[in-house]
Amino acid sequence: MTALAADAHASGGKLWRMPRWLSAEHPFPWLAPITAMLLVFGVYPLLYAIWLSLHQRNRVKRVDEFVWFKNWVQAFNDQRVWDSLAVTFTYTGIALVIQLSLGLAIAMLLDQDRRGYGLLRALMTLPLVVPPAVTGMMFLLMEDGSFGWLSQNLYMLGIISPQNPILASHSTALMGVMLADIWQWTPFMVLIMMAGLRSLPKEPYEAAAIDGANAFQVFRRLTLPMMSKVIAVAVLIRGVDLFRIFDYVYVMTSGGPGTATETISAYAGRIFVTGNFPYAATLSLLTMIIVIVVANVFVRVFRVRF
Amino acid sequence: MSFREHDKKTFVIDACNDFTARRITKRDFMKKMALAGLGFSAFNASMLGMGRPFSGQRGLGVGAAQAQTPPDIEKWLKEVGGKYAGTKIRYSTEATPPSIVANQLAQEEFTKLTGIEVEVEIVPLEQVLAKATQDVQGQLGTYDLYYLDQSWMATFAPDTVDPTEYYKSNAELAMPDFDWDDFSKPLVDGIAMYDGKMVGIPFDIPIAILMYRQDLLDKHGIKVPTTMPEYMAAVKAITEAEKANGIYGNTCQAKSGHYSLECDWTIYLWGHGGSIFNKDKMFSGNDDRGIAGLEYYQELIKNSPPAATTWTWDGQFQSMQQGQAAMCISWGEFFPGMDANESKVQGLMQAARPPVEDPGRRAAADAGFGEIPAIGHQGGSVIALSEYSKNKEAAWIFMQWACSKDVMARVSTLGGGASPMRLSSFEDPRVKEKAVVGPGTTRHFDVVNWTINNAMGSEPDMPIWAELANNEIPVELGKLLTGQAYDGSAKACMDALAQMVDTKVADAGLR
Amino acid sequence: MEQSFAARTLRDLAAVLIVAIFMFPIFWWSLSSIKPYSAIFNKDGPVYFDFEPTALNYKVTLLGRSRVESALESGGTYGAGGASSYDSRQTILDSTLVAVGSTGLTILLATLAAYALSRMAMRGKQHFIFWILSQRFMPPLAIVIPIMFMFRDMSLLDSRLGLIIAHTLINLPLAVLLLKSFFDDVPKDVDEAAMIDGATRIQTFRRVVLPMVRGGVAATAVLCFIFSWTEFLLSLYLTTSIRTLPVKISTFVTSTGTEWGFITALGTSAIVPSFIFILLVQRHLVRGLTLGSLKE
Repeated sequence: MTALAADAHASGGKLWRMPRWLSAEHPFPWLAPITAMLLVFGVYPLLYAIWLSLHQRNRVKRVDEFVWFKNWVQAFNDQRVWDSLAVTFTYTGIALVIQLSLGLAIAMLLDQDRRGYGLLRALMTLPLVVPPAVTGMMFLLMEDGSFGWLSQNLYMLGIISPQNPILASHSTALMGVMLADIWQWTPFMVLIMMAGLRSLPKEPYEAAAIDGANAFQVFRRLTLPMMSKVIAVAVLIRGVDLFRIFDYVYVMTSGGPGTATETISAYAGRIFVTGNFPYAATLSLLTMIIVIVVANVFVRVFRVRF
Repeated sequence: MSFREHDKKTFVIDACNDFTARRITKRDFMKKMALAGLGFSAFNASMLGMGRPFSGQRGLGVGAAQAQTPPDIEKWLKEVGGKYAGTKIRYSTEATPPSIVANQLAQEEFTKLTGIEVEVEIVPLEQVLAKATQDVQGQLGTYDLYYLDQSWMATFAPDTVDPTEYYKSNAELAMPDFDWDDFSKPLVDGIAMYDGKMVGIPFDIPIAILMYRQDLLDKHGIKVPTTMPEYMAAVKAITEAEKANGIYGNTCQAKSGHYSLECDWTIYLWGHGGSIFNKDKMFSGNDDRGIAGLEYYQELIKNSPPAATTWTWDGQFQSMQQGQAAMCISWGEFFPGMDANESKVQGLMQAARPPVEDPGRRAAADAGFGEIPAIGHQGGSVIALSEYSKNKEAAWIFMQWACSKDVMARVSTLGGGASPMRLSSFEDPRVKEKAVVGPGTTRHFDVVNWTINNAMGSEPDMPIWAELANNEIPVELGKLLTGQAYDGSAKACMDALAQMVDTKVADAGLR
Repeated sequence: MEQSFAARTLRDLAAVLIVAIFMFPIFWWSLSSIKPYSAIFNKDGPVYFDFEPTALNYKVTLLGRSRVESALESGGTYGAGGASSYDSRQTILDSTLVAVGSTGLTILLATLAAYALSRMAMRGKQHFIFWILSQRFMPPLAIVIPIMFMFRDMSLLDSRLGLIIAHTLINLPLAVLLLKSFFDDVPKDVDEAAMIDGATRIQTFRRVVLPMVRGGVAATAVLCFIFSWTEFLLSLYLTTSIRTLPVKISTFVTSTGTEWGFITALGTSAIVPSFIFILLVQRHLVRGLTLGSLKE
């Protein structure tokens, strides 16, 4: 790719005329390196995954046999796929709403130029730098039904009963997992929201102040509409990641109790670690198709432009 | 004060032992070392620094187990191993105490003597299977040696070299006095054999034994349970009596969807004369014995800490170590941890033979796929030589060394009381010496040895077993135990599971 | 909008409180990292400061101290593991090299692309951006196996370069989006003015526009660094001897117990470098993350 860039550079000189699409005035030389990279390392794996999803591993003969859409049919008939999709949508939906509203609220709270706020903002981003797998372990440590800090305090406050530990009860386990997600990724939302707030024009606010609007009105009538584009992009990016949630579930609950916290990626992950790669690939592709369809609809409906 | 050489050695050894056992403080210890002419820096560098004791001053404290390689082995390593100096062998293993110790010893001793470099990749527990499968399916030849769990023997059997065959056909590489008979037969059959082939050399043998709190049993006048009904009665009595203190009779490793739950379940399934498969290779967890076992297990869960359904062996161990439970039938590997200084039950725990099966054990011949029903569930592992290795000779030399009498005995003590593989290790003075209350104790080894040879249960050997044991079985059990499905009915759960498993077995062409 | 003193104080308090809540888990883990094992777990309630602090976990993970010493000092549960298994110095070096390398490569590729996408007219631009973004839609599980085969054939398995490429792949979509928004912030008049003055496109890019988005590039780089630093799955499957931090930490979960002390110690240490970078670019981070959504 450096060779291409060098070519592009040379074309800026006068010695020989490059075709126009190779000159620096044309986007091609600029986009060629990244396109090449994504084609080589992005498209081939995708094709391979599709190939894999049409095969099945014969455990006795130890070869991959072509089985047409057997894996896909199996996936559609697999109750756990549907259950896990339901969990995934619930998880994505709830976590997204919480992270978005918390993110916006905290961003507005921290969007101050007074002393100390710079440090607060930097501290707020700290959760982002913890490896997600470690976050899962750490929250597992805090939510352990007998020894976890959070559990022990919730028991003490009488909020939950020691008979129903957070991660052991159907009603609370998903929330327990989500807590790790919310902790880790709300800061990301804060960053995006803060960036959005900073780029808002000042004039409408001054006008509103003159009209005597109260804080809530200002937020509903001004901030929210002006932030809508930022919110849309944030929802898209975060939503896609949430839909593929894997680490926290895997580390904290293995999908339990029962299958109450088993998301589609966690299910695929379980199949993967037990060595059934074709079916894992099928489930992963299924996830990707859903993400692409939903993301496309979202982009169209909310007219997201990058 | 001057020491004669002999007195000095004894003095140093005593001081080290005192310090290890925390009878003296670190300051006193340093003072004594100084008296013996060993400065702090020397001490730090040689003993504490890289885990290697003073040269010539072996057999002390924790270092007791770090005696020198026997001269004949040393000679063999130099002469035979030396031919392959400069070769690099790769070895993938999960993080278990024995493999961690072997890794350390390899770098400190094996490589120094042979010049063969050993690169050990420690793979996170949950990912070992997928990584090894990838390597095998792609025939990548990344690894020369695999560390394989007993439940994967059938899956990997075609990818490994039978060590006994290799030993015979490569006499020039054979280690002197390797002594194959030193591995007890039940152990080899249970862990390493598949379809008449020895897949690897046994290297690790966690096995289910009974562990109980002597003080609590005494307090309530309960004698050590020897049968399943007695065990249940004892569990219930203690849960009832100790309610106010937050102590439960039992504790489990019942995390939904985790392999640990499958292990826990088989203990009680086998413990009630059931088996996973019958001799027609059909799932038989739903026969009378199977239902009895599962219902017993459901009852145990009710008498365990509520968080037990979120715990793997990790949480189960912690609940024991914290004194939250009075008894459990679980991995013998836990035992040394309960005797550790940070344990709240140090010295209070005892190991005992697991209860006798009720009404009796199902014969291995009546079970399918090489399953061996017996209450002492084993979770052993082997080291196996990869068929695709390009350095088989060097890898084989390492494998023999790692499984040699000397190294295995030391691994047991350095590994903090990990159960030995070899009969001779149980008798090794270095192992015996640690059979006292304290960190890394080996005082449960008699029970372990008995269980290995008399009550060891082994999971079926079949190529899809890893999937069944990590997915279908613990997931459906989890649904039952946490009340997500089946309405508490063991029968309904087992019937559903039977259908799933049988379909899958037929689908894989195994019946 | 002026606020009364009371309102301002209230607001300050709320801000501090919120940040404190988010800081608590990190505080709790770093506290656990200096606790002896017996204080990490306690069935009778959390242990706050009632313990004898120990630096042992750091000595083992960061200074390569042997586990023998750990056994001696604390009567450790698991006896004497290998020094080499817990010594994480090489891991930190590997992690740093990979993160820095992939950040560099990502920034190089993404800057070029983002400049063109921001400045030049092209057909199907939105589709092209969506395509780049869609690389993020693929669950990493599905691409692990094919990439492993590719890397084997290209001799990239278990090499830092291989990991650098893999992490670059993951980071590119977001980096392009971010950088584009920074370039969008620079008015196009700037380019035109420079080119009227006789600068070529390349000179304009390098000498005029790029310096203006320096802060944005730094902010993007920090995010890429963080994502590479914390990536787990690809790092695990594409390497055998090279270990990155998250992979190393996950090996502390052993078959007989989890080494919480080492996990918390290394986990805490792993936060430090990223946090320093964040502090340095904090100002720019906040500005750039609109991801270009405000541009028409």
